[in-house]
Amino acid sequence: MIKRLIWSAIIFALLITICLLPREHPQISHHQRFTKIAQSGNPLLPWQGPWACVLDNKHKVLWEVKTDNETIHDGYWTYSWFDGQHGKSNFGDCYFEPNRCDTDDLIRHTNKQGLCGQHNWRLPSAEELNSLVQDPSSPSQPFIANDYFLHIKRGDYWSSEHNITLPSQYRHHGKGATAINFHFGKPGILPYRNAAFVMLVADIPTANTHPQLSRRATIKQHQ
Amino acid sequence: MDRQTFIIFHILAIVVVIGSMLTGLRIAIVSQDWLSPVSVLLPQGQMHLWHLGFGVTITLIIACYLWYSFTRPFRSVQSKYHKIINYLGYSSLLLISLSGWMIWANLFTDTARTMHQFAIWMMCFYLFLHSWIYIIQNGRTVLRVLLPKRTSIRHIGLVCSILTASIAGLFLIKSSTQQLTVLTINDATFIDIDGKANEDAWQKATPISVMTIGGANFKQGATEVTIRALANKYESYFLISWLDETKSTNHLPLLKTRSGWQVQENGFYNYDERTFYEDKFAVMLSDGCEAGGDKTLHLGDNPIKNKPKNWHGKGYHASLDGKTRDLWHWKAVRTNDMYLADDNFIGPPAQHLSGQRRYTAGYQPDGKESGAYVMNWQWYTPNGIVPKRLPEHALQTSPSHDSVLPWFGSRPYDASHDRYPIGTLLSSVLYRSNRFEGDRADVRARGEWQNGRWTLELVRKHNTQSQYDVALKTGTCMWVSAFDHAQVAHTRHIQAIKLRYSL
Repeated sequence: MIKRLIWSAIIFALLITICLLPREHPQISHHQRFTKIAQSGNPLLPWQGPWACVLDNKHKVLWEVKTDNETIHDGYWTYSWFDGQHGKSNFGDCYFEPNRCDTDDLIRHTNKQGLCGQHNWRLPSAEELNSLVQDPSSPSQPFIANDYFLHIKRGDYWSSEHNITLPSQYRHHGKGATAINFHFGKPGILPYRNAAFVMLVADIPTANTHPQLSRRATIKQHQ
Repeated sequence: MDRQTFIIFHILAIVVVIGSMLTGLRIAIVSQDWLSPVSVLLPQGQMHLWHLGFGVTITLIIACYLWYSFTRPFRSVQSKYHKIINYLGYSSLLLISLSGWMIWANLFTDTARTMHQFAIWMMCFYLFLHSWIYIIQNGRTVLRVLLPKRTSIRHIGLVCSILTASIAGLFLIKSSTQQLTVLTINDATFIDIDGKANEDAWQKATPISVMTIGGANFKQGATEVTIRALANKYESYFLISWLDETKSTNHLPLLKTRSGWQVQENGFYNYDERTFYEDKFAVMLSDGCEAGGDKTLHLGDNPIKNKPKNWHGKGYHASLDGKTRDLWHWKAVRTNDMYLADDNFIGPPAQHLSGQRRYTAGYQPDGKESGAYVMNWQWYTPNGIVPKRLPEHALQTSPSHDSVLPWFGSRPYDASHDRYPIGTLLSSVLYRSNRFEGDRADVRARGEWQNGRWTLELVRKHNTQSQYDVALKTGTCMWVSAFDHAQVAHTRHIQAIKLRYSL
């Protein structure tokens, strides 16, 4: 009987120990393509924030992350397509310019600011922008990874591809530029004067001169 | 009853009681945190149907055993100790069964739930004093007594009969419902969605009452919900009221401390806030009527295969059968001033997004064209936050954290303007624009709290044609849940409420 009592005590103690073992929390999993980058240029873990840019490991570029804080990066601002020579200047809506806004204004201000330590911000190519299109995660979301790209509207985003003949309904406006629509996940050609959204991109040099952006592999998962 | 028949009953009872306890404990953990250490030993997933099935089988075993005992009693040789202890077992089984059926039938549910829990601990005590003592006394020889030596066709027939009757009984009761008759009103009858319910039509509608249990902060975790329904040719109206001693609109207020702004919370980090949260109410609609939320409840910290764990360990809502369940989520701060309930749905488990810390499985909002409330922090951490916006005018002494901060009455946060004294409280909810527009705004709603009771009026088109909504028609089933300043710890009930229209 003593043997049975001892075995009972052992089994009981084992059960108690199993119950009192610390519970595992949900685990962080890294995105295969994107990394959050803080305003300072430092990489962040997937659950950390706030972040100002997203490092795209596929195209080796940094993407501007939109905000809702009424700065130059606010996701509500719209821009007409203009590169200083071609296009239509000041036909979009924003608060940060005395006149209205165009894509050149956002590029100039962002390079001056040095967002995420970069001064080479530009409009993305249609291919780069189109590569962000993916099925939405829920009905209200745009066709993009909305866990990394915040405040993206279900509307048109300008690419750098321009001097393209417009579809027949816009033909009287002459030439236009390619925009990607994140409501439908499809490209389209719009007149330069159209007020569309913008998400800028910056190239990361092959031999990265920005030490913080190459640290992704060294980030350890932590709670 | 011969010894072999008794052994068959005994084995069946062991299996069913253990199954019932394991599934019951999993259900109990949803509302009783102190049980969470045993979570690791319990099954996960859809537990309610299993629990109901075990309940049916226990009842049948009790009935058969009683019939045998009265007609052909089994005479066993037992010590006085075990005879006395057996009475504890019999009484706890009876109490478990009786209280379980009372909860299912919505009869004195709050009292029955307490009885059910008390009976479970009686049963645990009995199992310890009965089984463990037998094992200590007799060791392995217990198995010789426990296991049948020979089984006849009669015994196999008995087991098969009980199991068949259990499955049949489960099928009969799993879709049993309470009926809510929807009173037809003239298209010209005006119902103001103001939470006051002072239209005559409401008095003519027949109310039903459902005792909902298992919620945080309510007295004994329970509150009785009364529901009336009206319908004209186009829309259905619901008047819902429930007892809630406190009006809670103090939703995650932001407190200015020496080290900056801090979110006032007690569980928000694990998405289970139970102190600093608004009151809420949820209505789920489904074409199916299966007891316990029509297969949408998946209990445990990791109940859905290949999906992430949840932070609070309670479970997820999702529909694994691919059907959409509609979910109206009225929120006393975030949606009440929009005169809306948040139109959400429960669908298949969503894709896991690596950049989002919280995973909500099948619980998702309907799509919207515009409009939103947003939280007034740039990034949440439990150690402190920076507000998105501050009021344009200095905070009054009135409790401004109880209301919504309007976008166009505030300005973007600027550290140089943040001269608020330590102890200042600020609202955490910002209305980015007036209200939702689109699919998410299908349900108009307004709640008013008075004298310890919320009164909520809701209205929606019978059929919105949205793939994320369920049409309101005869046979549509409904479940309701109240939240007393709790994020997820809501009350619940077992049987569905089935709508009956006379249109």
